[in-house]
Order: sequence, then C-alpha cells, then structure tokens
Amino acid sequence: MARKISIRQAINEAIDQEMQRDPTVVVMGEDIVGGTGAPGEADAWGGVLGVTKGLYAKHGNRLMDTPLSESAYIGAAIGAATCGLRPIAELMFIDFMGVCLDEIFNQAAKFRYMFGGKAQTPIVIRAMCGAGFRAAAQHSQMLTPVFAHIPGLKVVCPSNAYDAKGLLIQSIRDNDPVIFLEHKNLYGHESEVPEESYAIPFAEANIVREGKHATIVTYGQTVHRSVEAANVLAREGVECDVIDLRTLSPIDMDTVLESVENTGRLVCVDEANPRCSIAADVSAVVAQEAFDALKAPIRMVTAPHTPVPFSPALEDLYVPSVDAITGAVRRIMGGERKAA
Amino acid sequence: MSKTPFPLEKDQLLDAYRTMRTIREFEERLHTDFARGDIPGFVHLYAGEEASATGIMMHLNDNDRIASTHRGHGHCIAKGVSVKEMMAEIYGKATGACRGKGGSMHIADLSKGMMGANGILGAGAPLACGAALAAQKLGHKGVGISFVGDGASNQGMFLESLNLAAVWNLPVIFVVENNGYAESTSVEWAVASDSYVDRATGFGMPGITVDGTDFFAVYEAAGEVIKRARDGGGPSLLECKMIRFFGHFEGDAQTYRGKGEVEDIRTNKDCIKLFQARIKEAGVVAQSEFDKIDREVLDLIEMAVVEAKAAPLPGPAELHTDVYVTY
Amino acid sequence: MTCPVVGIIANPVSARDIRRVISHAGNLQITDRANILLRILAGLAATGISQVVMMPENAGIYGHLRRGLERAANTGEARFPALQLLDMAICGDASDSAAAARTMRKMNVGAIIVLGGDGTHRVVVSEAGNVPIAGVSTGTNNAFPEMREPTITGLAAGLAVTGAVPPGVAFVGNKRLDVAINDRHEIALVDIAIVRDRFVGSRAVWKADSFRELFVAFAEPGSIGLSSIVALVAPVNRSSPFGRRLIFDDPQDAQFRVAAPIAPGLIADIGIARIETLDFDTPTALTVGSGSIALDGEREITFSERDRISVTLREAAFRTIDVAACMSFAAGNGLFVESTKQALSHALGGQG
Repeated sequence: MARKISIRQAINEAIDQEMQRDPTVVVMGEDIVGGTGAPGEADAWGGVLGVTKGLYAKHGNRLMDTPLSESAYIGAAIGAATCGLRPIAELMFIDFMGVCLDEIFNQAAKFRYMFGGKAQTPIVIRAMCGAGFRAAAQHSQMLTPVFAHIPGLKVVCPSNAYDAKGLLIQSIRDNDPVIFLEHKNLYGHESEVPEESYAIPFAEANIVREGKHATIVTYGQTVHRSVEAANVLAREGVECDVIDLRTLSPIDMDTVLESVENTGRLVCVDEANPRCSIAADVSAVVAQEAFDALKAPIRMVTAPHTPVPFSPALEDLYVPSVDAITGAVRRIMGGERKAA
Repeated sequence: MSKTPFPLEKDQLLDAYRTMRTIREFEERLHTDFARGDIPGFVHLYAGEEASATGIMMHLNDNDRIASTHRGHGHCIAKGVSVKEMMAEIYGKATGACRGKGGSMHIADLSKGMMGANGILGAGAPLACGAALAAQKLGHKGVGISFVGDGASNQGMFLESLNLAAVWNLPVIFVVENNGYAESTSVEWAVASDSYVDRATGFGMPGITVDGTDFFAVYEAAGEVIKRARDGGGPSLLECKMIRFFGHFEGDAQTYRGKGEVEDIRTNKDCIKLFQARIKEAGVVAQSEFDKIDREVLDLIEMAVVEAKAAPLPGPAELHTDVYVTY
Repeated sequence: MTCPVVGIIANPVSARDIRRVISHAGNLQITDRANILLRILAGLAATGISQVVMMPENAGIYGHLRRGLERAANTGEARFPALQLLDMAICGDASDSAAAARTMRKMNVGAIIVLGGDGTHRVVVSEAGNVPIAGVSTGTNNAFPEMREPTITGLAAGLAVTGAVPPGVAFVGNKRLDVAINDRHEIALVDIAIVRDRFVGSRAVWKADSFRELFVAFAEPGSIGLSSIVALVAPVNRSSPFGRRLIFDDPQDAQFRVAAPIAPGLIADIGIARIETLDFDTPTALTVGSGSIALDGEREITFSERDRISVTLREAAFRTIDVAACMSFAAGNGLFVESTKQALSHALGGQG
C-alpha cells in the first residue's frame, strides 16, 4: 500500500534515489543547498521552496550551490554532461531561460546531431513554471512551447506526485537533455507514490478520466481544473476523456487521436500563451490526422496573449479556469460550426 | 631537463613542427579550394596562429578537454582529430568527423577530448568549466581549456565563466587568442581594458600575456598554467598575442587591415619560420628533416582532399537521425 | 630659462608575464597605473613643472589619466601639469619604451620618470643617455627601482629638474653592466644571467638548473631577484666601486648552496661554484659557449659558439634622481615652507 506524499517530496525522493544508485549524478543550482559560505546552518534552504532539502546531508558536495550566473553554470552542467557526469541543474524559474538560452538550445540540444551521433548530453534542467502563485510576470510563465519547438530537447511537465517521481527518475536516466518543469502551485499536491524507485516512459499520456462525448487534452496545473470541469459536465450528462500529456516532447499524439476518433470533439487546455502554444500544436495535428472524426471545431482554452498580471484579481482570470473549460466543452457539444 | 637546449627533446620538437605544418597546409589548401568554389558554407582559417594551438596542446592528453571557437581547425588538428575526417566533414561528406552534419564550425571528436568548434562565440567557456568540473568530480587529473578570441572575451558567458571557475577552483585554462580583430573590428575599439590579464585578476585568477607567435613562449607559459591547474591550483588565463593571415571568414577581403600588413607578417612574423630558425640555429634539427616532414604533410593533405571529394554525401535518412539518443 | 619638461614612460606590457604564475608576482591594473601617474603629476605640478610629455599606449592608461585631468580642470583645480603624448607609432611591446626614451632625450627633457620593473627601466636607460631617471616600481623584479610613494617621486623629480635642489645632491651616478655580443651592445642595470636555454620564450628565468653564470652591478640583501643570490652571500651596494661575478653549480650536487628569493614568493635552491669580484672596465668572457643572455631577469638574446661575448662593469654610467636626498634637502632648507622668519620661529618654539 503506497503512502501519500506531495510533489515536493516526490521530486526530492526521485533525486535521492537516483543519486544513491548512480555516483555520476550531481545537482547544482542557486540555493539548492542554501547557506553555503554563510555562518548559519548548512542546507539552510534546500532550494528556494525547499524541494532539495535534506539531500546535502546525505550526498554532500555532489550538491553545489552556484553563483548567480546561469549561463556559466548551466553551460558548465551541459559541458560536464558530455564528459561523464549526469547533472541535474536547477534553473530556479523557467522565466530565467533568457540568460542561458544559448547553452540550452544551441549547445545541449544540438551536440548529438551536429557531432554526427558521437555525443550525448544526459542533463536534466529542472525549473519552476506556471502562474497562480502571485509571483507576477517574470516568475510565472508556462514556456513549454518554446522548448518543445526545439529539436534535441525533451520537455516534461507532471501534474501529480506519482508522475513527478516516475518522470524525474526517467529524465535522470535519459541520455538526452530534458527540461523538467515543476508547477510552483502544485508542490503541495499529494497523491499515492510507491516507495521504491520506478520510471515512467516518455510519450505516454495518462488518461485521467474516461468519457465518450468529448476529449480534453492538457498538462500541468490545468489537469486538475479539467477534471473538475469534467465532473461538473458529468452532472449535465456530458462525459469527457481527460488526457494528461505528461510529456510535451516527445508527445503522445496516438492517445489523443484515439480518443478523438471516439469522441469527435476536442478541447485543448493550455496555461501557455495562445500563439504557437501546445494547444495550437495538438489542435493542428488532430485537424490534419483526424479531420473526418471531428464533429465540431476544435476549441483551445489558453491564457490570454498577455504577460502574467500581479493583482490576484487579474491573475485569477489569467489561468484557464474550470468555467472556461466547461464553457468550451458546452460550445462544441452544442454543435456550433462557427465562432460565436 | 631535456637533452636539447630547449624544453623539448628532438623528437618532440619535430612533432611540434609536424603539427604546425599540418595546420598551415590544411588551412592554405582550404583557402585555395574555397576560392574555387569547392567547399560549401563558411570556413574560418587559423593560418598564422599555429604556435598557440600547438604549444598548448602538447601538454594535453585525451583525458583533457578543449572547447574551441569558430576558428577551430588548428585546435582540432593539434588535439589529434583525424585530418582526413576533418576534411571530409568540411566537404559535408558522410565520412566526416561528424558524418557531414556539423561542418567546419562544429567539428568535434569527444574521444580525443575535442568538445567541438563552436559557432556561438564564448559558448565554449562554460562548457570547458563543465569539463573541468567533471574531472574534479570523477577524480582524474584532467583539465579543461577554453579558447576564445579577443572579440568573444567580451561575451557575458566568458566573464561569468571566469567567476565560476575561480569560485569553484576549477582546473580550467582560459586562452584568449588575441589576433587584434573581432571580424573587422579592431580590438583597440572593442576592448576597454587592453588587458585580459587585468580581467583575470579582477575575477580572482592569475593571467599571463605571451607572444603567441613564439612557440616556446606559448609552450612554457601553457606548461606552467596547466601544471598549476592539474596540481589543484585552479584556473588561470593565458593571452596569446598573435596574428591571423586570412580574413575572419573565407571571402573576407580584409580591407580593414593596413596596407602591406599581411605581407609583412607573413615575412616577419610567421611562427613556423621563427620556430624552424630557432631550432636549426641551435643545431638540433637539419633542414632535410623539415623537408621530409613537409613532403609527408602535403601528401596527407592531398590524400585527405582526394578522399573527401570521393566520399559519399550523407543519404536522406541521415536528416532524421541522431537528434536524440532515443525518442 | 625655458620651463623644464619632464618625460614619463609607463609601458602597460610590464607586470604581465609568466611570473604571475610561477611565483606570486602581483599584477598592476591599468586603472592603478593611471592613479600612480596622477600622483606623480600632482607632485610635479606642486614643484613648478608645468609641461610633461608621455609615451603613448593602447592599453587605456592615457584614457584614465585624461579623465582625471579633465575632472581637475572642471573643478578649477590647477593641480596638474599640461600633459602631451609623444607623436610616435605604438608597437605594443618593450620597443615603445625605447622609442619614447630616445625621443625624450632628443627633446632634452629634464628627467624621465619610469613606471615599471627592472626590464622597463633597463630599456629606458639604454636610450636615455645623460637624462636622469626616477624609477617607480610596479613590475615584478624590483631590484632596481625603489619602492616609494609616487607622489614623493614626483615632488623630488620636480625639485631636481627645476634646480631647487643642487645637482650634486639631486642626482647620483649608477653602475651599469654592458654586454657585447659581436657588434651588438646591450646593458643591464642590476644583473646579467647566462642560462642554458637557447630560446627567449616566456623570458623570465627561474629554473635554477638552467643557470650557468651571473654578473651583478650591485646586490643588496633587501632586494628580490637574481641579484639576491649574491646579496645573501657577498653583498655589494650601489655605491661600491665593483660588482660580482658568480659561476653556478648544479643545485643537486653543489657543496655550496644558498636559498635565495629570486622572484616574488619564490625562494629557490641555488648551487654556487665560485664568486669573484668584478672590477670596472674589465671585459670578461663567458665560461659557456652557447645559451641565452638574460638582462635584468629576462631572456633577451640567444648565442652560440660562433658569437663573441663579453661583459663589462661601468662606473657612473647613468644618472638617477636621489629622491631621499632631495626631500631631505627640501626639509632642511624649507623648500616647501612659506613663512616670515617670525612666524617660523614662533611655530618651532625657538628651535628653528
């Protein structure tokens, strides 16, 4: 019988178990230990939200606090990955990608291809993503589409503790660069997680809820809102498939297409901004591959084309809400063929 | 102490000559063939700078890693990457070091510790720090060497790497190959403080400036900083003041250089001629020994070109391979 | 009398070599060099020097200086002399120091103030002729120039050049080592070392097993560098009418060894075969047939059996400004004091 732990604990456990299993796994990032060089206690923070707390006591200087210097330490982690280490480098907020993006998309993503298959870069870049935390525009983005777009990168965004542990273990064992996104609003979210080590393969979406009237495809925080929306809709007699993509690159389009063949109706929910979003990507592929199965236009429910606002009143309007999701499903159930 | 009045034995001196001559002939051949239209894309030639790559790489083994610049052929050859595989790669052939998928600016051979020429200037600095970090964690005495030019030394990535290396005491050497020009912009315009040594000191590591056209100056200085790093002494910066014969890229008419400047340096500041004169005058090597090496090198380059031209191009399926290890 | 001009040579190439790594030599940043020059200029201005000429360079020293001078002009301070750069090509190496010194000598400057180590001072002296030198130490081996606050050097140089201090007090003659390599002539201010290496390379000499011979003009126990080898065994000061010649022995087998601070932070084990007195004007041939000649700690010239080499010590071969003597004279003669006799006497409580 598995116990219930939070995503925070699940991630901590995944890192701990892999560090025990493989001596080449190292962890680096800003404040991931915390207190380095300061007179107070060691392991003072264990990460800004405590995700890596306690690991330093077990694994010592395989965990390294870094200077405030993303392009240097992300670059160093990438270089070290080509030289026999398996680094887990934390980019505290995915919003900070700007200062180290070259390392990620021009170096790590392209080494294997540019060097004719003769390099491998087994790095995991863990970063916080997502809105709802009142962290404002530069600390709240969902940048999955940016990374999913780049050949050579893998992108993972779990919605629950069970998936978080299994996908992180898979990411660490994977020999390609993985961007592992942790929703900052979900760290406390609990579910049943086995104590032993296990890995969840990439490109395997999870069908969280089954139904034959409509398909809702999403990932991350909006998985839970989609389930809530599906529950509301069920009371109206509309049963929905809710598909948690889990990994955005590689992406499990087979599960999505199979579901759409069944339901004929698709709503894509995405916390990213609408232009070139994961929602747009999935919608276009489905429209191309399952056009004849569709009974209604595909609807996308995304954040607006704005930065993330600070004021709670506004931020609450930013993230796709349960109402927005139910509204979208109702519209396509209504057989609408044109935008309102 | 060596048997010659140099810090190298005779066979090592001949190896150094062979390496420099190989780089020179490789680059001169590319210059000619590029002008004929045989070679696709961009090439950036290292001719004139051979003493730097050779003087430094002679202290390294396959356990040591280097991260190079866009002007990487010299570093590749000095680090032991196959000349034939390099030529084939530049021609975009399937037999190339990167199966034709990298080209001149991305030649790499990780088995030889060559982490790649790089089209992004300054990107090698953090990567070399990573190699040094791996050496530290894995417990072998390898070092990382980051090559940058005078222009790239202004990139944030480079400056951040200086700090990171100093803070973590990494066994990494930052080599600034200062040839006075960043593309067409003179270093006098672009670099506020003449001295990379001052920057190094500012970040907490020692820096040295040497004449990059003097093989022995580079060899001596590189030997000391690499030994220091291997012994746990941490990072340092080595500035090699040198000159490049050709333009930033092939096709660059170099109109930004002074009249007669290139002719003057080919005559008076050719690092290979200076090296030869020094060891011949000391009676250690005879001209006939140089001539023999010259013939062997030219044969090798010729074979490399012939084989590269004859080699097959990568097939269409190659377009999709090696994006990932598994997907 | 036309206003005397003072020359300044501050070559940024000094203090940038391998001794930062093989020993613990310091590095003097461009901005610090500029600050030192501003201190010198303040001293010169205070003693009535209004015109200074300076060697140009591309390192940014002049840029920083100019900002300091403009700031002073904008705030109405007349604290600095007018500063002009020499019109010459810049090579970015030691030859710039030589070219600048040559030009300053032709211009008949009253003195040349040099910012650098032994090597820079040597190059300047080789071209300066009878123009007196004031040295400010900043390089690595600083056996020759004194360690002294540059403001004081500026003050003393101004006093000397304006004649406020009589020449017999202000200037002193210095020994010099001359080396002839066939028809080529070079000098050294402190020491000439003969080493086994047949290349100039990184220039600095520090590997004791390559040392063969050493000639010193003087060897003071308080100094760093190769001359310390002699200084700790048979010291010779700057005014003694002779120098020394030392023949090295292999430090492994030598019966006579000395531990000497041959570079900053580097104390080396040196083997000595013998030490002789070196008299003035007595050309001395070498005991070895080939190798390199290091002048004031830096390899400069390689030679072989076919070359004719001899070393000669010269007396009073060039002049330096005696900063301590100038300041003493100034104090003793109230050169910086402006006062009536009464006020002076009153202030000193009758001890005037």
